[in-house]
Amino acid sequence: MAALQSELVARRHWLDEEQYALIYGLARITPGTNLLAFAAAAAWKILGWAGAVAAVLAMTAPSAAMVVLLTRGYEAWNANALAMAAIGGTLAAASGMMATSAWQLLAPQIRSGRRARTVVIFLASVMASQAFSLPPVQLLGLAALAGLIWRTPVEP
Amino acid sequence: MNLFVLYLLLLKAVATSFSGLTSLPVVRHDLVEQRGGLTDRQLNAAVAAGRTAPGPNGLYVVSVGYFVAGVPGACIGCLAVMTPAFLIIPMLRYLGARAERPAVKSAIQCVMIAAAGLVITSTVPLAKDALTSPLAVGIALGSFLFLVLTRKDTIWVVLGSAVVGLLGKLL
Repeated sequence: MAALQSELVARRHWLDEEQYALIYGLARITPGTNLLAFAAAAAWKILGWAGAVAAVLAMTAPSAAMVVLLTRGYEAWNANALAMAAIGGTLAAASGMMATSAWQLLAPQIRSGRRARTVVIFLASVMASQAFSLPPVQLLGLAALAGLIWRTPVEP
Repeated sequence: MNLFVLYLLLLKAVATSFSGLTSLPVVRHDLVEQRGGLTDRQLNAAVAAGRTAPGPNGLYVVSVGYFVAGVPGACIGCLAVMTPAFLIIPMLRYLGARAERPAVKSAIQCVMIAAAGLVITSTVPLAKDALTSPLAVGIALGSFLFLVLTRKDTIWVVLGSAVVGLLGKLL
């Protein structure tokens, strides 16, 4: 999004700083992929709905096609022992990537001083999911409710 | 699986997440545990494919769609990833500065923390399937440390882990 800021605001002046800040803030709370929401909103401001659709398609379609090719490659090489050894390495790395993703969600909360709330909600989430098999959507709803009730004095 | 049902399930997963892999627990719950349309190994491969390709995070859903229903499923997955992005337009029109309200921010922060817990609980069964040797465990730990400590692009992890896996087989 930093690259888009320099392109859209500083270089082309299609958005001003205030519009950029508002879109950036809203993109962070829009469900789904934040970058796509940002692109949709920025393009909508500039060109309306057609721009929003074009921006989201441009950002998604080429990468999605590449994902399909990679997935087909996985299927095609499934019978080759050497290819499967390489793929096995990437599948092992995927576990590391998922753990990284969890860490990246927690780290900003811990660094900004909300340690107690972070630890309590994280552990409660793990326990509710593992021990009580609470479905993810209900669990996230409860977490949102907890956030409304338990507000910390430190805000980013 | 009916494509419309697949779209609704993937849309539910994407629309209840706030970043790339936080939709993973819902995908696993619905497609692996509840409906059996996907295996843990396929979900693992989908994550690897999604993280290898350039572009926005969360595109592993396209690969999930492909595993479940071929190319039409991949298109459905792509549509499910794109759909929630357009929610921002009515939000931009009607919410505006309210997005910065402390209550809204606090609720989202807690959703992100809970999502981290869910990602970890979803990672455990996937790791059981993928981490079947000491080398695989080493690759997973190395990948985690590399990404956390260096913040380099994921593609280096994918390439490096493939090379290490291959060398492990050859040597």
